[in-house]
Amino acid sequence: MGKLHKIKGVGKVSNISRRSFIKRTVAAGAASGIILSGANKIAGASESGSDKVGTLIDLTKCDGCKGQKVPACVSACKSKNESRFPEPVENIQNYWPQKKHENWSDKRDLTKRLTPYNWTFVQNVKVDGKEISVPRRCMHCDNPPCVNLCPFSAMEQTSEGTTQVNPNVCFGGAKCRDVCPWEIPARQAGVGLYLKVAPKLAGGGVMYKCDLCYDRIKIGQNPACVEACPKGAISYGAKSELKKAAYEKAKEINGYVYGDKENGGTATFYVSPVSFETIHEELEKQKASQPNPEAPGFPTMPVQVGNFLDSANGMASALLLAPVATAFAAGITAYKTMKGKEEE
Amino acid sequence: MAKEKMLRHSGLVRLVHWSIALSTFTLIITGMFQLPLAKRYFIDQLPGLSWTADYSSTVLIHYIAAAVLLSAVSVHIVYHVIRKEYNLIPKKGDLKESYQIIKSMFGLCEEPKSDKYLAEQRLAYAYMAFSFLLILVTGVVKVIKNFPAMHFSATFISWVTNIHNLATFMIIFGIFAHLVAFAIKANWPLLPSMFTGMVDLEYAKHRHSIWCMKSAVGKEKKHQPKYSIGR
Repeated sequence: MGKLHKIKGVGKVSNISRRSFIKRTVAAGAASGIILSGANKIAGASESGSDKVGTLIDLTKCDGCKGQKVPACVSACKSKNESRFPEPVENIQNYWPQKKHENWSDKRDLTKRLTPYNWTFVQNVKVDGKEISVPRRCMHCDNPPCVNLCPFSAMEQTSEGTTQVNPNVCFGGAKCRDVCPWEIPARQAGVGLYLKVAPKLAGGGVMYKCDLCYDRIKIGQNPACVEACPKGAISYGAKSELKKAAYEKAKEINGYVYGDKENGGTATFYVSPVSFETIHEELEKQKASQPNPEAPGFPTMPVQVGNFLDSANGMASALLLAPVATAFAAGITAYKTMKGKEEE
Repeated sequence: MAKEKMLRHSGLVRLVHWSIALSTFTLIITGMFQLPLAKRYFIDQLPGLSWTADYSSTVLIHYIAAAVLLSAVSVHIVYHVIRKEYNLIPKKGDLKESYQIIKSMFGLCEEPKSDKYLAEQRLAYAYMAFSFLLILVTGVVKVIKNFPAMHFSATFISWVTNIHNLATFMIIFGIFAHLVAFAIKANWPLLPSMFTGMVDLEYAKHRHSIWCMKSAVGKEKKHQPKYSIGR
């Protein structure tokens, strides 16, 4: 499986520009991913002229690795990112004046939810007699509120369209999680920059989430979850091509697409034979039966959920035009008062 | 008998001052609540403050206050540039003169004669103008970067964010110093002028003699009464 995904020409990186390398990578990734997923008529990503990458998750293929204790994508993600998992200090202080802190370091083996030690997991729902398995992780939004609203710019949207946390800058305030429609980033206390400032009074740790294996895609490899999936249910490649493929597949199976309209658009396209409204309802029921239903880490699938910045952006044009209008009025006033003086 | 008064700040100038003051105050508060403070420190539990934990509310109020501040600053610049009023721009020797003014407060020397603004006020203005320039430019970039179609490099955005945060503290310090200045008795007569626009003529003659002289010359030239008597 892995061999089929390998991209020719990786060894020639030094001879080509970064941009063209990414274009080729994306094209190759898209082609291989979609071929594996069974879709056809895929044009090269270079034709689209876009460097943005994405993934297509085909829920008609994913079976959550039935029979296995941990789905292959989850295991692959964990082993690939193990070296980046947090190693907190021994005595983690509470978030004063709160009497709590978020510590997952003693639950590293949890694979049924998102944690700082588990950046993807698979949800299983039964809808209309069909068993649906849904791999979950960061959607890599087009206009990510987590990146835009981080008070310290500790998050980044790469030129390829993926989003990632800078663990050296993150203070662990978890605002990114609050403004994410799926509450994806997971927090670990007792690690990161805040320990060097005022660990008792401010900060909360570091946020962790999927970065779509940015180090791998930068060198022409597929994300670990894509490589590991035994069913070829996750495809990686040019976003525009995958979006097209997602809608084609949805049309073919009379199904549904999730991720294109949500949060103003994302780089993750789910294709499902059952509606996402029903999947969302089932997930809400499952969330309600979690040990702590309010806790993040078990995302639902709200259909066409808006972007946190929709209202702010809606009035931003007025914000930028207001000073122009008032400057014009001030100019007229100044001119009139001066003219008045001269006439006197 | 009522004291004679002199017009120091026109209605428009006062409107701009208070628009900047109120919007800046609002921006500082809502800016602080862009940090995850409200929930953690139970501020949202206080009566009437539940909104502080809602980023969507605080960011909207921040945007509205920013529009007011940007508008007030643009009026300030356009109005005074067209009228060629540069009284607040620092002059050569202002540092030395400010030092003399401070020394005179302790009775160590005589206070130098001042124009409409004291040398230290001109320096304070330059500091505040620079701080506001930083925060407004970075603020506008932050608004633009939030648009769906916009994408800037992480390094650039990191600089913008850090400068915006630094400028916030520069402004807070500036406001603090501005308010502390009114703890000094010598500055008290200036306070009413920020509300009524008028300042005691005797005070102006004593402390702002250069300004009074210029006004008197202007009055002779234009045969226009500059003093508002008996207010």
